Amino acid sequence: MIKEKALASGWRTFHSFFLTSALLCFGAAAQAQDAQNNITIRGKVVDALTRQPLAGATVHIKGTTHEVVTDNKGEFNFLTGQRLPVTYSISYVGFEALDTTQVSEAPFIVGLHQAANQLSDVVVVGYGTQQRKNLIGSVTKINPAETRNIPAGSFDAQLQGKVPGVQISSNTGVPGEAVNIRVRGATSINADNDPLYVVDGVFINNNTLQTIGTGGKATSPISDINPADIESIEVLKDAEATALYGSRGANGVILITTKRGSFNQRPTVSLNVSQGWAKAAKLWDLTTGPEHATLVNEWWINTGLDNPALNRSFANRPFRPVAEGGRGLPEEQKTYDRLGEVFRTAQLQNYDVSLTGGTKTTKYYIGGGFNKQEAILRPIDFNRASFKVNLDQKINEKVQLGVSNTFTRTYRNQARAGDGPAGGLLQAALHTPTYLSPFNEQGVPVGRAGFDNVGLLLEHYDVSSVSLRYIGNLYIDAELLPNLKFRSSFGADYNNYNESEYWNTFLISGSPNGLATSSIGQFTSLLNEQTLSYRKRGGKHNFGALVGNTLQSDVYTRTAAEGRGFANNSFKLISSAATTTASQSWTKSNLVSFFSKVGYGYAGKYLVDFSVRADASSRFGKDNKWGYFPAVGLAWKVDQEDFLKNLEQVSTLKLRASYGTTGNQNGIGDFAALGLWSGGTPYQGSAGTAPQQLSNQDLRWEKTTQANVGIDLGLFRDRLNVEFNAYHKYTRDGLLLVSQPASSGYSSYWSNAAEISNRGFELVINSTNVRNQNFTWNTSFNIAQNKNRIEKLNAPLKYGSRDLILQQQGYPLYSFWVYRQLYVDPQTGNAVYEDVNKDGTITTDDRQIYGSIWPKFFGGLTNNITYRGFDAGVFLSFQYGNKIYNHNRFFGDGGGARDAARVILASNLDRWQKPGDITDVPRPDGVNVNNYRDGGSRWLEDGSFLRLRSLTLGYTLPKTLTQKAGLQTVRFYAVGSNLFTWTKYTGLDPESSAGSGQNEQGIDLGTPPQPRGIQVGVNLTL
Amino acid sequence: MNTIKYLGFLLLLVAFSSCEKYLDVEPKASISDDQPIFDQASAETALRGVYSALADGGYYGTSFQSIGYLSGDNIQWTGSQSQVQEFINHKVNADNSTINAAWIAIYRTINRANNVISRVGALEEGKLTPALQKQIVGEAYFIRALAYFDLARTWGGVPLITEPTLSQEDNIGVPRASLTGTYAQVLKDLDAAEPLLPPTTDRYRATQKAVWALKARFYLYQKDWANAEAYADKLIADNNYRLLKPYSAFFANDVRGTQESVFEIFYSPTETNGHRGQWQPQEKGGTRQWAPNDAFVALVNDPLVGGNRNVLVAKDNQGRWYGNLYYRNPAADPSYVIRIAELYLIRAEARAQQDGAKLAGALSDLNAVRDRAGLLPATAATKDELLLAIENERRIEFAFEPHRWFDLVRTGRAAAVLNLTDPNRVLLPIPAEQRLIDKALEQNPGY
Repeated sequence: MIKEKALASGWRTFHSFFLTSALLCFGAAAQAQDAQNNITIRGKVVDALTRQPLAGATVHIKGTTHEVVTDNKGEFNFLTGQRLPVTYSISYVGFEALDTTQVSEAPFIVGLHQAANQLSDVVVVGYGTQQRKNLIGSVTKINPAETRNIPAGSFDAQLQGKVPGVQISSNTGVPGEAVNIRVRGATSINADNDPLYVVDGVFINNNTLQTIGTGGKATSPISDINPADIESIEVLKDAEATALYGSRGANGVILITTKRGSFNQRPTVSLNVSQGWAKAAKLWDLTTGPEHATLVNEWWINTGLDNPALNRSFANRPFRPVAEGGRGLPEEQKTYDRLGEVFRTAQLQNYDVSLTGGTKTTKYYIGGGFNKQEAILRPIDFNRASFKVNLDQKINEKVQLGVSNTFTRTYRNQARAGDGPAGGLLQAALHTPTYLSPFNEQGVPVGRAGFDNVGLLLEHYDVSSVSLRYIGNLYIDAELLPNLKFRSSFGADYNNYNESEYWNTFLISGSPNGLATSSIGQFTSLLNEQTLSYRKRGGKHNFGALVGNTLQSDVYTRTAAEGRGFANNSFKLISSAATTTASQSWTKSNLVSFFSKVGYGYAGKYLVDFSVRADASSRFGKDNKWGYFPAVGLAWKVDQEDFLKNLEQVSTLKLRASYGTTGNQNGIGDFAALGLWSGGTPYQGSAGTAPQQLSNQDLRWEKTTQANVGIDLGLFRDRLNVEFNAYHKYTRDGLLLVSQPASSGYSSYWSNAAEISNRGFELVINSTNVRNQNFTWNTSFNIAQNKNRIEKLNAPLKYGSRDLILQQQGYPLYSFWVYRQLYVDPQTGNAVYEDVNKDGTITTDDRQIYGSIWPKFFGGLTNNITYRGFDAGVFLSFQYGNKIYNHNRFFGDGGGARDAARVILASNLDRWQKPGDITDVPRPDGVNVNNYRDGGSRWLEDGSFLRLRSLTLGYTLPKTLTQKAGLQTVRFYAVGSNLFTWTKYTGLDPESSAGSGQNEQGIDLGTPPQPRGIQVGVNLTL
Repeated sequence: MNTIKYLGFLLLLVAFSSCEKYLDVEPKASISDDQPIFDQASAETALRGVYSALADGGYYGTSFQSIGYLSGDNIQWTGSQSQVQEFINHKVNADNSTINAAWIAIYRTINRANNVISRVGALEEGKLTPALQKQIVGEAYFIRALAYFDLARTWGGVPLITEPTLSQEDNIGVPRASLTGTYAQVLKDLDAAEPLLPPTTDRYRATQKAVWALKARFYLYQKDWANAEAYADKLIADNNYRLLKPYSAFFANDVRGTQESVFEIFYSPTETNGHRGQWQPQEKGGTRQWAPNDAFVALVNDPLVGGNRNVLVAKDNQGRWYGNLYYRNPAADPSYVIRIAELYLIRAEARAQQDGAKLAGALSDLNAVRDRAGLLPATAATKDELLLAIENERRIEFAFEPHRWFDLVRTGRAAAVLNLTDPNRVLLPIPAEQRLIDKALEQNPGY
């Protein structure tokens, strides 16, 4: 028994085709049987609790190669030469495997118990699958169904709080925009920190192709994937798990497995329809016209007192009676609301339909989806139509062929939701002073304070993009010899991104006679991969090996045109413009990789594996193209030891450790190592050339070593599970755009000059609190900490507006660099800043690092409850201890000094007015003077939050009812998302971030918040 | 089965053998820097690259120009970036991004010029005609002279780089030369350019006449009045250069390369000049971040002071004044480097400084400019009166060109006119960013 169990649970191959191959073996063996002696034995597999049939369960006769899959009614039958009694080994995803013996030919009903936790799940890992209980690395598997209804365009944005150690910031409430996703911190300053995304074995592009700026974050190519087509998402975090992706594993790997059919599965149609509404939970609190005018007058008089030479006094204050040449008294000012014009209740619609099924030799999944999400900010919307076909075909017992295809068309109505005056929608609505009328004296609509007129913007906005995406893969699996399998696959990720904007003469950008831009970018990634895998079990020994190679070629091309000077606003295409210009770009990189992994398991207790990947990139210097990325992993399944075997309470105890190196090259130019002269420097209409960059043949891979130790503990038949991981990542040869003294004629070059570390832990607790026939209650909690530190950086680097972010050795990445305001002197009303160098004056030298974007802790809490047909889910996400710079408030808190140039927020009304006032808002004295200094810490806020991310209620009609109607299941549901956010942050959304560069995170400016939403829908299967 | 096996191994084999080639990806928009200049055509394109650097937004496109006029007393700032206000307040911090942008752009121009001087100069005979070779090298010398002149008048002495940068170690860690040494380099380059360049009239390229014009300005800054006058004479005597009437004739109605111009930088709808964006109001597609201040608006609209130069300003649809020298759409406004009006005023000043018999000539030069602006002749009689009149004339004449600040600094009048109390502030600080990465750069006193 011990031996058998060891075999069953031993080290398994990491190759995904193994299961299907096992099925094939049976067919071959069955034919060899003598038909004369065969008998038929029948049975049925059901859920032990609900007695519902389980279709697709695997039934294996022990000691033979006989294996079948249950049909739609959960039934199976064998035509076999075996004689009763036979012992079956029965397994089904999500249920505990069972060994049971049939003694008579009478129909045999087997009840399987639902697995208390995910431990028995099969987990997708690099180039294969593994049973969770045999995992050595740190891998988190997510069921996307739980978060699918959160109104965000891309599935990664929906995962916040679900994956321990993975920090996800949504940045903006615009659906389908890029999110910041960081797996165990950030490892690089100038190379990308995004994880590698792999869809069905295809490395996909996650960098936006958007080129027409929208003033902040750009569109996310990940949102081209319909979450409804995803079967599972695995996040690989430690070196053991990511090393097979070597060159690109340093920032973690996100594996996406899309849905496929099963052999011998009745065709099943699923339908999901939902409708929702979303709205901003709150908007900014602005001063009224009279309040604005009062503050401006106060500032005016204050500055006159401070500097008599200015000749400013009560007598000539700006808001004095019109008769005296002023703009009218404060109380005569009107208030104009612009925010109400641009925010709306957004509509959300989603339709998904799919067909799944299979015959003996073919299985298929066909899915179609349409998703339309309006942003709460007019006129932005996101429309995705997707079509998915996955097919697998057995050619014979040893060879299987298959394809995965995803076609998507994503159409976006866009607007400048972020920073920037011309065309900036939210800034125009938020930052225009409320006392200014949208019309001039002649009644003509005019933009104020340098911004566009909001009404004209909404009427004439014309920026849109269409992304056409194909992600696909063709594979062939073949069993060359017993235990030796070969797989070859060809994959492609093709993205055609067609964007255009037209600014007519009513808008700043289109003044005086129109501007049109069109750009078509095409990204093509081609991939070819071969793997050969071998697996051998013998006695207590379990051995597996894999070798493989990958060739990948990425090409990005872009053609853009611009036209200016249109006859009138009816002409919108560049062909009708007076002046047209065009540009074209092309860039390419190639990657060659070889990888290998060997694993060994002894007695089902001790697991060890070793992997290495060698990658060569065309981007690096001649002698530095190759990088080698090894990793080793160890696990000890203590629960298999005799001394724990009999301890009922402890069902799982596993200790894990891994160490390895992974790399990074994303984000640097394809030709970064070459010394180049380029064109594009014309003069007088003729071509010019000029030095572009200096050669750097030393340029090489950025490398991250990571050590991970973990413990998996399961108690009470795994009803309570605890997983704990601690890690230390250290990045060397960090890719950095190093500043070159300008006297050389160059300003920067790529180099390997930074070192960064990330240290942290992750804790997950899963608990099945109650489970009986009518009632289940599961709780899942995760919390993680990551400490990021720049270990080596020769000179500090400044980023962001007003140099708010400083990257400096000894501090975390994305640290805020501010003048720290200590208090406001109650006597003078002046802000008192920390005089860091104690020289008695406040200068740039007194700016200091004060907090960063990194939270001290973050995570999520999920509770799922089912009672008879009802189900409910409550999901909270949280982060604690991070800072955010409220840049909107910086502009809106100018103490009147920005006068007619900017709105004043109501928070500025708390300013100091007379001796004795206790406040942190100082006396208005001008912009960037003392009290309203650029980079003051007064606008740096605590960004901690606890968010009720989603609240789900569902009801599934009783089977008896639905089956009468010819349906399998009918479920009605309602989902509330972002219903409540508990935070001290005074802006709208503590996750907002305006900047598009990865080094400009945590600055909130002109960004719409994530909306509060509610959706209702129905799931049908038939 | 075997076929598949062999196919797999074959693929692996192919992958191995073609690796090197596969990993060698060459760009299509750039060439290797091994030998970028090898014949006449490549020499000419490299020279255009130098002009393109001069035309860059960091240099004569916008940033450098703005240092010259924002630091004067004609402009107010309406935007939110305090670094622009620093020029207006004459409290420029070392971390000001405009000075860094200008510093980078000017040295980029110098490196390109160095490449042309060195590489074109080294081309063997037969690759291009000797006349063309001389001209190309001469043009690069002129541009380098202009670049060092602009560096010297903004920051004082600077590192003198005269060889192209070929590797990451080249041309860094070079200490600052003295101000005298830097101006000596300017003169050396002008002297080198003069005989190499043809005595033709080309308003978009460096010619011998452009060298004379820059020499006139150079000597004015050096207070070498006789030479300043002599070189200004050469241009004024040339009937290819005239003061056009009215004032607007050199820029209005989309004209370019007029007889007013000695050297202007060429822009077109495809080689645009972003300058207008700072000046034009929203209704014309700009930001109007820089606007004429009340004092200047009053002066330029005063018929006795501004005359027909009031076309420099206009009102937008909200009744606000904006500067209108850079106005074209598409943004093809030239950047004016040297106009003939400047040479009249250089000569007027040089003559006035020489006093005595030269005063009459000084007055008539000044009045030539006033006459063109539709103003009555000035009546200044003494040297001091004349110098003040010239100073005030220059303020209006070159209101939106990079002169006012440099003029007040070179005449030592910044303290009196701009209330500049700290004498160290007449030189701008070496950009902090540069000092951070190049320890050899010493900061100017007072920063």
